[in-house]
Amino acid sequence: MQISVDYARCEGHGLCEDQAPDVFTLDDEGDLHYRFEGQDVPAEHAVAAGRGAASCPVAALKVVP
Amino acid sequence: MTSTAAVPTYQADIYTDEALLEPYEHYRALRDLGPAVWLEAHGAFAVARYADARAVLANTEDFHSANGIALNEPANSAILGCTLASDGELHAHLRQVVAHRLTPRSLRPMRETVTARADELVAGLVERGSFDAVADLARALPLSIVPDFIGWPQEGREHLLRWAGANFDSFGPMNARAERALPQCGEMAGFGAEIVRTGNVLPGSLGASVLESRDRGDITTEQTMMLMLDYLAPSLDTTISAVGSAIWLFGRFPEQWDLVRRDPGLIPNAVNEVVRYESPIRAFGRLAVHDTEIDGVPVPAGSRVLVVYAAANRDERKFPDPDVFDVTRADAVQQLGFGYGEHGCAGQALARMETESLLAALARSVTRFELGEPERALNNLIRALGSLPVTVHTGA
Repeated sequence: MQISVDYARCEGHGLCEDQAPDVFTLDDEGDLHYRFEGQDVPAEHAVAAGRGAASCPVAALKVVP
Repeated sequence: MTSTAAVPTYQADIYTDEALLEPYEHYRALRDLGPAVWLEAHGAFAVARYADARAVLANTEDFHSANGIALNEPANSAILGCTLASDGELHAHLRQVVAHRLTPRSLRPMRETVTARADELVAGLVERGSFDAVADLARALPLSIVPDFIGWPQEGREHLLRWAGANFDSFGPMNARAERALPQCGEMAGFGAEIVRTGNVLPGSLGASVLESRDRGDITTEQTMMLMLDYLAPSLDTTISAVGSAIWLFGRFPEQWDLVRRDPGLIPNAVNEVVRYESPIRAFGRLAVHDTEIDGVPVPAGSRVLVVYAAANRDERKFPDPDVFDVTRADAVQQLGFGYGEHGCAGQALARMETESLLAALARSVTRFELGEPERALNNLIRALGSLPVTVHTGA
């Protein structure tokens, strides 16, 4: 599983970080950092990452099966 | 447009007083009938299941907001070209003008003010003991925050709640509520236009930055008028609904209030659960611009599609025991009460901040909400209490 991030659409609501702080973080500028950019999400983070992606209110995060 | 035999249909008018008071059995019936159900009374497809509602909101290729938001033409024409009722690049451009001021990061400097106002408001009400949770609590905080934030001049503020309510009524079918509302929407638009003409907004406000965008040539004068109202109209009733419903729910389910008091870290999730359980906005429409289908149900081009957030949020296919109010619900954050995707509520960070601040202030002192007889404020779009007498208890 991969997660695609549309950085232009992200508005920094931060709900993904609440759900999966080891996977998504917002910096002090409110910009999103995604830990597994361009790679498969390791199995131990998959559930949290999926929850984080599902919580994005503006659909900037999508799960790519 | 007529429905085909393969399409499930529903006869009842879901905008009568009775249906607005008790909507949830209608929503269950719609969910059980199918992924998209033709509403005979309203000439639109209802999408009431969670997965389909979310899919329609995400599919901006087939389902447009321009000419699609309301269930009647006059309202769709009146709002055409505002952020809510535009698509694609135009929408992205308009949203960008304002949304960057509404992100959690941009709102950080507001948190202190919002928290202080919420604390002060709650302290006064707790001292009084008995008050109206809608007039004195739910309305008081947004009205003390939002008009200043948007930069609305002092004069005209007395009309804001009436105008905002009319705005939402106008989005329903053209029933008596919508007919009464349209002239008032005109008043509001006229006031917005006047503000843009005179530049009479508070310095440093969101409204002032919209005017600067106009002066830089980023947006037209007409778009500026739209944007002045775009974020004001939806920012009051929605939050007021959520706060009123929160008190009503915590009064009825005191064990849930105990959980929040024991662990205030639950408050953000509790706000999601309130919005899931009593969605402030019941539904927004879309216009199908191509022949398409919703989970197998054929939807011809030109069809109106009503995405029923409030029904999706009670879908047992998504949320186990959906009619149980549970502040610890694991996936409450996935509720659709703020919409989803490109048009997802741009003001949700402010709405969350206001509601969370009030609940946090209450959780520090109030042990029980003793409810009087609530009265609903009926609106085509907003589910809200009009008044809720409450006595708060602070002892153990």
